[in-house]
Amino acid sequence: MLGKISHNSRQGRFVPRFRCKSGPRAILLVLALLFFFAEKVTAQADAANATAAPTNTHEVVDEVGRTVRVPLVPTRIVSLAPNLTETVYALGLQDRLVGDTDYCDYPPEAQKKPKVGGAINPNLEQIAALRPDLVLVTKDLNRLDTVRALDTLGIPSYSTDAAHTIDGIISSTERLAGILGAAQAGKVVGDDLHHRLTTLQERLRSVPATHVLFVVWTQPLISAGKNTFIADALRKAGAISIVDSTQDWPQMSLEEVVHLQPDYLVFAADQTGAGTRAFEALVSLPGWQLLDAVRNRHYAVISDAVNRPAPRIVSAIEDLAHQLHPASFQDLPSPGKEIVPTNSTNPARPHAALFPPPDSLSGTCGMESSCAL
Amino acid sequence: MRPLTLERLLLRCGLLALILFGVVVVSLKMGAVQVSLYGLGRDLIHVLLGRSSAISTDYGMIVLNIRLPRILLGIVVGASLSVAGASFQALLRNPLADPYVLGISSGAALGAIVALIVESHMAISPEMAGLITPFGAFIGAAVTIAAVYLLGMRDGQIESSTLLLGGIISASFLSAVIMFLMTTLSGSNLRGTAFWLMGDLSTPQPKTLLYLLGIGFLLAAGAIYTTSSDLNLLLAGEKEAMHLGVEVRRVRIVVYIAASILTGLAVSVSGAIGYVGLLVPHVMRLIFGSDHRMLIPASALGGAIALVIADTLARTVVAPSDLPVGAMTAMAGAPLFIYLLRRRIA
Amino acid sequence: MSSPLRSPIPSSAGADQLRAGSDVRLSVEQVSYAYSPNPSQAPLFTLEALSFQAKPAEIVAILGPNACGKSTLLKLISGELQPMSGRIFLNGFETHALPAKTRAQRIAMVQQESRLLFPSRAWEFVLQGRHPYGRGMRFENSDDVLIAENALAQTGASHLSDRWMDKISGGEKQRIILARALAQQPLLLLLDEPTLHLDIGAQVDLLASLKRLAAENRYTVVVVTHELNLVGEYADQVVLLQKGKCLRVGPPATVYQRELLEQVFQAPLSVEMTPSGRPRVTLFSKT
Repeated sequence: MLGKISHNSRQGRFVPRFRCKSGPRAILLVLALLFFFAEKVTAQADAANATAAPTNTHEVVDEVGRTVRVPLVPTRIVSLAPNLTETVYALGLQDRLVGDTDYCDYPPEAQKKPKVGGAINPNLEQIAALRPDLVLVTKDLNRLDTVRALDTLGIPSYSTDAAHTIDGIISSTERLAGILGAAQAGKVVGDDLHHRLTTLQERLRSVPATHVLFVVWTQPLISAGKNTFIADALRKAGAISIVDSTQDWPQMSLEEVVHLQPDYLVFAADQTGAGTRAFEALVSLPGWQLLDAVRNRHYAVISDAVNRPAPRIVSAIEDLAHQLHPASFQDLPSPGKEIVPTNSTNPARPHAALFPPPDSLSGTCGMESSCAL
Repeated sequence: MRPLTLERLLLRCGLLALILFGVVVVSLKMGAVQVSLYGLGRDLIHVLLGRSSAISTDYGMIVLNIRLPRILLGIVVGASLSVAGASFQALLRNPLADPYVLGISSGAALGAIVALIVESHMAISPEMAGLITPFGAFIGAAVTIAAVYLLGMRDGQIESSTLLLGGIISASFLSAVIMFLMTTLSGSNLRGTAFWLMGDLSTPQPKTLLYLLGIGFLLAAGAIYTTSSDLNLLLAGEKEAMHLGVEVRRVRIVVYIAASILTGLAVSVSGAIGYVGLLVPHVMRLIFGSDHRMLIPASALGGAIALVIADTLARTVVAPSDLPVGAMTAMAGAPLFIYLLRRRIA
Repeated sequence: MSSPLRSPIPSSAGADQLRAGSDVRLSVEQVSYAYSPNPSQAPLFTLEALSFQAKPAEIVAILGPNACGKSTLLKLISGELQPMSGRIFLNGFETHALPAKTRAQRIAMVQQESRLLFPSRAWEFVLQGRHPYGRGMRFENSDDVLIAENALAQTGASHLSDRWMDKISGGEKQRIILARALAQQPLLLLLDEPTLHLDIGAQVDLLASLKRLAAENRYTVVVVTHELNLVGEYADQVVLLQKGKCLRVGPPATVYQRELLEQVFQAPLSVEMTPSGRPRVTLFSKT
């Protein structure tokens, strides 16, 4: 067939005009070479993956049920979620943290760590370049695809579960501490948090819970569902959310809220004055004047730590409890913490000190570095 | 009179392949992490020749395990979408047709979402884990294809205009279902879906899937290529083609099924990457003419080039973040589309 | 018009087969057709059984007013439709039973116009006529190119070879379409109302070309039309239809009877014979 031209135009057989001997054969040869090359190269990559020495590793089951092989004491940790970064700092292990996401902003030192991109779309190359021996992810924020990608690259990853209760957050922190080889620190932190919460419960025991609406977003009006850890945080602060939905972020209609007439509105804000600004914006919207809480300016602003399932959430809970039930804490002087009566029209409310000095409500911190609680 | 010859075809395809190779090399070099290709290349050659047994270059692993598979995925997906787009444009006799015109992407999206939901409630072994979502997406695509074909049948014959309408309706309906599901899904499932819908190549796929994709592409595109002379005639009209000896019914079925398979395979691993399947055939037509014997391979190579370039930009432009490649193709594709419209091509 | 490139395009099907001593090429035998959109409904349209025969180098005109079944008859001959009863033979083979490619090598249909989705050049268009002679994956060879160039020359359209199809006039396009049909090297050339969009000069040109081509290449040409005088002047045989019924078959001189034509076309007219033996019809206004 090759190199011949048929003159039989009646049937018009397939007649290549290409007289050269290559042609289809050359194509096949090139394809074969490509396949051979590809096999060699991918085999090489697989071999590189498999040479990790398994001597100082052990198998654990993470909080979403995956069985993973992690180092006994991870020394190069990459965190792919802000709350996990905070937890690492809270456990005093920040020296072992080699990378985190663009959104890991607390504590401020975390912003100086090498960045690997967003939590949802981290850059795999950056992660791999840091040569981590453990990557921390959470079901709350990260994608399953990211975890699978790390598996494919042979990088071990540990996932915490989606948080639903404050107790769950604390036990998750303790478990994570164990995985990171710092079980003692985890116990200390956990005990401290439990202690603070118990103390808080005692103070609030005789006080009826305040009905609140936690405002996530104003237009449309979005709040937090009753199965979220935020709802649990509200409960621990002596408040009860008027939202009864099982959806995580239900959209509320103004009618419902007016019908339920919460006593207080609660905002979470990360900057000074942002919460007040949100409230003022709300006041100007039509229909909101029907709420007693709006007319009486009964609103509370706490730090956005309440949005992150990390140890710092307990501080936000304490802060909220102070704002909602000031009477229960009258006998306690808390230096460094300013309680602003919320029915004043004082707009410039200083951001509450979220680091109560070690000798106030909290117990002592056991770690050598600065107490980030 | 200069009809297309095998010689000219191979020459042009060779040129495109060369461009593709160049793009791949540049793409391997670019990324959030600096890589020395020379060092890597030297090590690879040593390995091939058996002189050393491991790659010593520091970031060789990154290039081989992250960038190269991603580039290869881009090549196969880009080629599949472009060939499917060219085929649909010919068959439906509509220059605005793209691979998703028959609702295949919406069906695949729905399948992927359902798979995500199922997956989160079941314990999956690691080997299977990477295959569930693409599998679900492909099933969704296949069901949609079958449903739209049945809708488009009249008197046992597939009618182009009815098929088109059926596809549009299906796409709308499925999109509505998807939106409903997305508002009721909980957060973790939702995130993955949003990324998938935008079209994204950043997830490394299991090797078996890659091989499956490659083989599927070769088979389906090959089947379409055997009908390329018939497609040339179909451009003039079905009656005319029939009078010139084209078995219209057989050609239609083969091309519809093959093009749908190409789209389904591409969409199930990468989501709905837009504009590639629509524009690459038009650009190739501008350069090489509308003879499908040249257009099909040119679209395949051109689509591969386009998608690799887009994906490279997607992962370097806002480093270290990874943009979904569908966003990049849309940003580049829309102005190009307007330009082509003004030239009265589409 | 003569040019050095013009040469007869021999038919691909070899010598005509002789049937029972006659040199009949096309034989339509008692062919009828009925069409109903719904299987349960009565047929909307019927073509009653009719027969005629055609020889090589002959022009047959299927003549009649609108909606008389002309186009349907043409579709039956081309193999697009299957007759309800009766058979159609082309050199002894039933047209409908032939595979599509073989049929395209023997029967060429000339459309009125061609709507191309993407523009192409005239020579590309004509080369399409060689498609029936290839297998799935083929590239045109030098013979194909020669035949295509020849076909263009035969229709006097060589100078249009490099032009884009969407940039030439209707009459020129008609020639290219005809050239494509010639490139198929057919036995039978079918045209459906080819003169509809042409001006008078172009109409005469077309029919004259058809006559010449039929003679040179020994085609059998079947033209569907309602142009009385063109038919009278150029056709060798006329099949006169009215409302699905074949009223008469024969040379124009025998078919063009005044009463018959008046009845079929519902218009007053008169028929004269020209010196060359061809009838000419003159229409009067209805008063």
